[in-house]
Amino acid sequence: MSAQPFNSVPVTVLTGFLGSGKTTLLNRILTEHHGKRIAVIENEFGEVGIDHELVVNADEEVFEMNNGCICCTVRGDLIRILGNLMKRRDRFDYILVETTGLADPGPVAQTFFVDDEMKAKLRLDGIVTLVDAKHIWQHLDTSKEAQEQVAFADVILLNKTDLVPPTELDKLEARIRQMNAAAKIHRTQNAVVSLDAVLNVGGFNLQRAHEVDPKFMEPEYPFEWAGTYTLPAGDTVLELQPGPDPTMNVALLPDADPEKAMLIFSEDETPVKPGGELRPGARLYQLPAPEKFTVRAPSAGKFTLFTQHHPDEFQLNLGGLTAANGRAFKPDHQHDNAVTSVGITHPGELHSDRLNDWLGKLLREKGTDIYRMKGVLNIKGSPKRFVFQGVHMLFDGKADRPWGSDPRHNALIFIGRNLDRAELNEGFQQCLA
Amino acid sequence: MSGVKRLWQARLPDHVIALAWSPVNSQLSAAAVSGPVTVFRADGETERELAGHAFGTAALSWHPTDSLLASAGQDGKARLWNGTTCVELQGGAPWIEHAAWSPSGNFLATAGGKKLRLWDKAGKLAREYPDHPATIAALAWRPMKDRDSLATGTYGGVFIWKTDADKPQRKLDYQGSIIAVACSSDGRYLVSGNQDSTLKVWLLKSGDELEMTGYATKIRELAWDATGRYLATGGSEVVIVWDCSGKGPRGTKPAMLVAHEQRLTALTFQRAGKLLASGSEDGRVAVWRLDKPKAPVWTEQLTAGISQLAWSPDDTRLAVGTASGELEVYHVAD
Repeated sequence: MSAQPFNSVPVTVLTGFLGSGKTTLLNRILTEHHGKRIAVIENEFGEVGIDHELVVNADEEVFEMNNGCICCTVRGDLIRILGNLMKRRDRFDYILVETTGLADPGPVAQTFFVDDEMKAKLRLDGIVTLVDAKHIWQHLDTSKEAQEQVAFADVILLNKTDLVPPTELDKLEARIRQMNAAAKIHRTQNAVVSLDAVLNVGGFNLQRAHEVDPKFMEPEYPFEWAGTYTLPAGDTVLELQPGPDPTMNVALLPDADPEKAMLIFSEDETPVKPGGELRPGARLYQLPAPEKFTVRAPSAGKFTLFTQHHPDEFQLNLGGLTAANGRAFKPDHQHDNAVTSVGITHPGELHSDRLNDWLGKLLREKGTDIYRMKGVLNIKGSPKRFVFQGVHMLFDGKADRPWGSDPRHNALIFIGRNLDRAELNEGFQQCLA
Repeated sequence: MSGVKRLWQARLPDHVIALAWSPVNSQLSAAAVSGPVTVFRADGETERELAGHAFGTAALSWHPTDSLLASAGQDGKARLWNGTTCVELQGGAPWIEHAAWSPSGNFLATAGGKKLRLWDKAGKLAREYPDHPATIAALAWRPMKDRDSLATGTYGGVFIWKTDADKPQRKLDYQGSIIAVACSSDGRYLVSGNQDSTLKVWLLKSGDELEMTGYATKIRELAWDATGRYLATGGSEVVIVWDCSGKGPRGTKPAMLVAHEQRLTALTFQRAGKLLASGSEDGRVAVWRLDKPKAPVWTEQLTAGISQLAWSPDDTRLAVGTASGELEVYHVAD
């Protein structure tokens, strides 16, 4: 895949289940006075008609395409429609492609990789997925399409947040973050979001492939929840009801930073007897349940409780107080065939031949399960950063600008189904020079 | 070749998406992708301007013997123009990208989405075929005047239809997306250009099929010469010409005609003569004689990519349309 021309027209793909707010967002984008010319490719089952100067109906024809050594699926109708659109003199600043609620975003994305004409004149800018915060849970567990829409996204709008309590939103965001650690997540009502958040996000831009944030990539915290309590000086009763396990580990810290809590959770736990005492500080306590305990604060103040399981599972009660900024770090349970993200960060130099072999084999064998990948690599002997991104088996990579004074490092992320974190890490390690 | 000279030029408001010469009086009709259709007299003067199709015109076709011009477009309609009056035909799909008169002149075929329809000269619906399994991406009448028969290409294969039956006469399977179809004049061959950069060749009598690979991009440009011997194909910046005489092109090495720097966008043989015209994205037009394949007998450089090429019915004129709306007509003496 060659470099995309500077003047190519960006294409944004809007996905999301029926009722998630795609049409609301489209109408908002089209009616705002932004001075841009936008063409919309709408699916033929549009939820609500859109009144705009250029709306083309598409029929979502997906076909398999043999692209040399690999097979992939593309949207034939998009090649036809966009090919025709790009012949016109009245050029558009943006093109929006709306998919049907049940669409797999894969074929849409792949279309922009395999057709030369499309590659020459258009660039896929990003996949924006709308999520109905109230109704998505049932789909995330059961619907392959909903999982794929989340997994492919560069931007996820958690919409209809007014219909869901904040704690539910936290859990939902954590679940989505675990599936897709690279997407930018915005919470919205009525799909109100700034245009900059959904257009020109550069999700498929190689120049921005290095903007993978390693902080997002390790969502594997050893605790599932944290919440901040304002405690009085002296004793407060902490009570646990029976839960899924006979014990639960907790830490009470003056600081809400999960990175610091992670260090504490990696130490040996201190068992607490029934009726025993906990003090704020760098200590991991193991509490039997059901039991009561005493929390002893040296002075009044804010303390953050990190818990191994979600506190609801033990009906945790700390002096009848309500936690502020409750944050779930992990879903309540693991899922089969789960869509997850695996991030790898490492400063070491990579051997380019071994890297080629590893990635080639990985894409051949696991390409169907890998929805997106991107990152920056530190190749031994090259003064330049190597940036890459991919969709399923389609890979796009090139030497980027020189490292210069930036510390050389690798940061990559895979988003997919049935990803084996240990295997990916091991494969990567073997590429180190 | 004794010479090529430019006869006239004109400007369309947008990318030239279709060019068609009238076999009756050498009028040239030209459509811009954004819609407007202009009919030029043989001397280049504008004879009339026709209302184009909303959202864009896609195809033009002159009736072989009468002064009837068919147009089709992105508004889901086809129009049958007689002078400045027209009959509007409902294509049955949101867009109609193909309109073509049969060699006998008895039928106009329109295709859009999954719908293929036949119309008579008065614009009356003559046949509606059952829906295709996927969008009809290509349509070509087989060049046999005695019995009209047409081929359509979709994802999954080519269908051959008779004009008097709803069921396809034949289905030629291909596991891929077909984007161009062309039939040789002798009826022996049917070929398809495919999205996956392959060329598929069917020998209709024996049922043999060949697949040619190695093309750089999808193949939209297919042209048969008048005898049915030579097949010129695009799919890269080199014109690839297969000799289909004798046992056919299997195992043979095609002629490679090199004159273009970018991808080919148009290819067409003279209707009766031996000259082949080619056009490319870089704005170059070339005319070739296949007995001298090393270099074109004539080339011209235009300022925008070539979008359409069309030989006049008497083969003496070549019309060239470009992506920026230029239209040039050359006199070509063999």
